[in-house]
Amino acid sequence: MAGYLLRRLAYGLLLMAGVVILNFFLIRLAPGDPAEVIAGDMGGATAEVLAAIRADYGLDQPLLVQLGRYLGAMMQGDLGESYFFNRPVSELIGARIGPTILLVLAAQVISITIGVAMGVMAARKPNGVLSGAVSVVATIGYAVPVFWMGIMLIILFASIIPIFPVEGMADIRLRNEGWLERMIDILHHLALPAFSLAVIFLAIYARLSRASMLDVLGADYVRTARAKGASERSVLFRHALRNAALPVITVAGLQFGGLLSGALLVETVFNWPGMGTLAFDAILRRDYTLLLGVLFCAAAMVVIANIVTDLAYRLADPRLGGET
Amino acid sequence: MALLEIDELKVTFRTRHGPVTALDGVSLRVEAGETLGIVGESGCGKSITALSVMGLVPSPPGNIAGGAIRLAGEDLVNTSPRRLRRLRGSEIAMIFQEPMTSLNPVFTAGDQIAEAIMLHQNVSRAEALSRAVALLDRVGIPEARRRADDYPHQLSGGMRQRVMIAMAVSCQPKVLIADEPTTALDVTVQAQIFDLLNDLQRETGAAIMLITHDMGAIAEMADRVAVMYAGRVIEEGRADDILDLPKHPYTRGLIACIPNVGKGEGGEPPPLAEIPGVVPPLHLLGAGCAFRERCGSAFERCAAERPRLLGPAAHPAACHAVEEGRP
Amino acid sequence: MSAADPAAPRKAARAESPLREAWVMFRRNRPAMAGLALLVLIILATLYGALLYGGDPYEIVWAPHEPPGATPEFPLGTDYLGRDIVAGLLTGGGPTLAVGAAAALLTMLIGVTIGALAGYFGGAIDNLLMRFTEFFQVLPALLFAMVLVTLFSPSLTMIAIAIGLVSWPQTARLTRAEFLKIRKLEYVTAARAIGARDGRIMWRVILPNALPPLIVSATLTIGVAILFEAGLSFLGLGDPNTMSWGLMIGANRAYILSAWWPVTFPGLAIFLTVFAVSLVGDGLNDAFNPKLRER
Repeated sequence: MAGYLLRRLAYGLLLMAGVVILNFFLIRLAPGDPAEVIAGDMGGATAEVLAAIRADYGLDQPLLVQLGRYLGAMMQGDLGESYFFNRPVSELIGARIGPTILLVLAAQVISITIGVAMGVMAARKPNGVLSGAVSVVATIGYAVPVFWMGIMLIILFASIIPIFPVEGMADIRLRNEGWLERMIDILHHLALPAFSLAVIFLAIYARLSRASMLDVLGADYVRTARAKGASERSVLFRHALRNAALPVITVAGLQFGGLLSGALLVETVFNWPGMGTLAFDAILRRDYTLLLGVLFCAAAMVVIANIVTDLAYRLADPRLGGET
Repeated sequence: MALLEIDELKVTFRTRHGPVTALDGVSLRVEAGETLGIVGESGCGKSITALSVMGLVPSPPGNIAGGAIRLAGEDLVNTSPRRLRRLRGSEIAMIFQEPMTSLNPVFTAGDQIAEAIMLHQNVSRAEALSRAVALLDRVGIPEARRRADDYPHQLSGGMRQRVMIAMAVSCQPKVLIADEPTTALDVTVQAQIFDLLNDLQRETGAAIMLITHDMGAIAEMADRVAVMYAGRVIEEGRADDILDLPKHPYTRGLIACIPNVGKGEGGEPPPLAEIPGVVPPLHLLGAGCAFRERCGSAFERCAAERPRLLGPAAHPAACHAVEEGRP
Repeated sequence: MSAADPAAPRKAARAESPLREAWVMFRRNRPAMAGLALLVLIILATLYGALLYGGDPYEIVWAPHEPPGATPEFPLGTDYLGRDIVAGLLTGGGPTLAVGAAAALLTMLIGVTIGALAGYFGGAIDNLLMRFTEFFQVLPALLFAMVLVTLFSPSLTMIAIAIGLVSWPQTARLTRAEFLKIRKLEYVTAARAIGARDGRIMWRVILPNALPPLIVSATLTIGVAILFEAGLSFLGLGDPNTMSWGLMIGANRAYILSAWWPVTFPGLAIFLTVFAVSLVGDGLNDAFNPKLRER
């Protein structure tokens, strides 16, 4: 297990190095002088700033030397300088990464819990009403643009049923309250963005777990469980679900990149102070260094999520020898 | 009153071809300590009979349309699902054909046996686990303590079937149903499993219903035999009688199929026989005898009238030719 | 549906190619046919609707935020500038659908090429190409597309290219799996035995047999590409001078609390289009895998 984890981590580092190299070439392929690209169109790049960038990035050196420097700096966590905000990119992202992780994890938990519950109930009666409803919801959920879903929820909850806040992450009036009040406030603000994001993925999990449960419920070991006298609940949730969950874990890992992408859109709709709104700001200001920094960190999150998924799968499926 | 009585059991299935009668008036009885062999080709209804006793006929599409199943006088067809769950695993237990797929891949062998114990007996998990280890030891698994922590994929096919048996006998059931328990296993392992079942039966006095298509297994295990064809019992009797003096042409065919058991003389093994054709699809059964298309002794009456199980109570057969004393 | 159609079995028996057989199955699938009808309707509306309707989507024609139904001339109301929403819907669908189709085409082109090479040759080539594919899967697709469009140009072509560049890995994996499966079959060995070259085997022997799942995947890719285009336009990354459904939502989102209609209708249009596409995709999937229909 430890050896596997090490191999997996090393491969993850390799992938991240690939992202850095990609970023490097994106800057050089973009139209215009690289120094100006790095400074950003609207950064008010003075001659001194451009000269500083050229020296910093070694832009007068051969391409390979530039790449080496860039790689070295990135691997040390130096993602460059945002010339618009006049602060290091890593600092800007550091302030925003928490809310994004919170949003993404909340959406993941909601979509998996509700989606799998729907799928299991649908699988119990494959020709029943609920089963049909799951298929319909799954097809609809797949087709709804996530940002529009958010906007519709805002309209619904801002004017018709005003029980959830529709903007931001915290109520500024509560800033002097205790941590518990502030945490409840954040969760309150989290409800709508997390739900908008969860809807699409909920549809995916419902459909997947329905198919997977139907598969598993026909398996011999489920009949064995019944023959032992296990209750229907134990058959469903103990014997069948443990096995049916395996493909769900795989897909949850594969979907993480998509979830992150969706989070960027949802953040801009709800003004959630995460990496999505930061990326949006970076685009408005043509702050390429910041934008590429966000891309780097998002890719790192996907790599980590993939490693976690692999480990979870190995723990859940004893056939992969995870318990040794 | 026998321990397990099946009376005129009728099971139907909804299919694309309309309703099909999978079991058509099957009556069987098994006494405590006795082994009843049920033989027949695949599709003859022997597994459905077993699943009916367990209350595990998949429904829909299956449905028990008539008849009765009684365990020590208690009706199992019209009892509550709750009561049936109580009986399953404790009073009646079943061993399945495919040890490879019949154990849950994500739980250890010990866990799966302990679960069966905890479902029916009020014991702690630790106690159940230690009983599971003792059972594994009893069914002949070496290093039982260590093996209890193994997952099914870490065990060989024979080992897995032993785990299944340990699980089935964990609550000392009165009736043990074994559905082709050795079909998926090597010949050498088959004999060991049969020995184990015989030993366990001697210890616990359980009734065994052995379902098989293998006459060799019958010879080794069964006290009495019921031969099934197309959803009906077509011959029944003591195992020795059936093996030595089979009446029904189908039974005779089955026995002729056993290597080296025919009347080979002069040390020459007789040529291997086979029964021509296959079991007809159930939805295509007409009015007459279901076996007539494959039968060498069929005559006009066989196409018109379905034969009933007749003859001496100890060894009846359902065949017009037998009834009329034709060759 | 099929029970009432006595001609159906006869037609099925006459069908000679798997594609025609699939079409027979597809035609009996009511949701899929409804999806196809809806899709054709949407395409016709975006192609000819603006001509028939005649309104200019960019022109300010009325007071801002006229609610739907209030003025018969503007059945769905006006937006924050006083532009006609119906005209916007009819004009804005074109770019969305065109980008969706072009991006799906590019996705299939890249994905099938890479997947076919990896699956057919195996070994080191497979390894290299799959590592390359995994690398692209690490990049969150929408964010990467945002970066490409921002760095290069916000034109429709660039958006289509960006979406194609971020969505091919899944197609590549699917194609690879199909090629791996098919290349072991007898008829491929037979083709090799008569001396067919690799390119011919891949293109003429394996690809046609791998088509059914690829067609389904291509359909679903169109849906995803449309959602991507809408997301990018919504963020203002598209061409600000080309009307599109995503742009309409993005432009009006500041006023959603006072006027719900300028964002609701374009969103519904996107939803219905992708919904229709996915119904067709599901129908194709069922038609190609009749065994799975029992589910």
